[in-house]
Amino acid sequence: MGQSPQSHEPHPGSGDPWQAVSYLLTGVGLYAVVGWLLDEWLDTSFLLPVGIVLGAALGVYLTYVRFRSSNHD
Amino acid sequence: MSPVSLASGIPHFVPPSPADFRLPPVFGDSVFFTKPYFLLLLAALLVVWFFYSTSRNASVVPSKLQFAGESAYNFVRNSIARDVIGSHEFMKFVPYLVALFWFIAVNNYFALVPFVQYPTLSQTGFVYGLALLTWLVYNGVGIGRHGFLGYFKHQSVPPGIKGPVLLLIAPLEFMSNILVRPFTLALRLFANMFAGHLLLLLFALGGEYLILESGNAGYIPVGVLSLLMGLAVSALEVLILGLQAYVFTLLTAMYISGALAEEH
Repeated sequence: MGQSPQSHEPHPGSGDPWQAVSYLLTGVGLYAVVGWLLDEWLDTSFLLPVGIVLGAALGVYLTYVRFRSSNHD
Repeated sequence: MSPVSLASGIPHFVPPSPADFRLPPVFGDSVFFTKPYFLLLLAALLVVWFFYSTSRNASVVPSKLQFAGESAYNFVRNSIARDVIGSHEFMKFVPYLVALFWFIAVNNYFALVPFVQYPTLSQTGFVYGLALLTWLVYNGVGIGRHGFLGYFKHQSVPPGIKGPVLLLIAPLEFMSNILVRPFTLALRLFANMFAGHLLLLLFALGGEYLILESGNAGYIPVGVLSLLMGLAVSALEVLILGLQAYVFTLLTAMYISGALAEEH
């Protein structure tokens, strides 16, 4: 946080480092549920694992984008 | 914590458990009037009394007491509120952040005050209450700034992502910002208070058992070691108790700052 004690402006985009945990958990949780619902609906069984992996990938991607953009401010 | 006697006559060690955090009512049989309840009340009164009594006779040349009060206030005002929210609009959030920080800090340090020795915020209910308050504040100011739909978009569309992948990312970002945040915020504080106190209980009770009740002189050095570990953990707790109050307040300020931020 306060990288330079002289500047009292917020650092946009830097945000909460725990955001990464939140993104990963939410990604996996959300798309696992979506996959499971699709499985129930389509009577298949492979969409739940697909959802978990997709959610994890999206969580990683979102974390990457968020923390990358914060370094370029 | 009463040791259970076995047939051999040597008491059995009962490790501390979450049940040890559930205390009996102080009077009557209402489940509300327990020690944590009164500690929470006491913490609130202490914080109000401290800031009231140090600012009541405020003068240009501060007394020692006024200086202490102003230092406590300035710490949160400058190093949390101003640094995170920015010098333009941090002032209106200072009262909440100062109160929040010192209320949590006092509650946490109750864990190490002799005869009190209970971290109030190891009770999940209290912490979820605080997290709910923070949730209402940052969503409130965000909706006030961007309007309801604008704020919804603000918290769902992360900067730097365009194209069809946004369709998959937006629900994730929204859930992460609005639904998961209050829980991670609360869990971090609650779990740190709970685990730290449990660790202290374990070393204290273990040491006491090994020295006094195990009936084996060879265990006494290990019991002494256990008590020493308890002291070491207490020293660590001095740091953690303050740090967790700081983190909770800092994150609150960050959420407010994020909710107020202009479109990227």
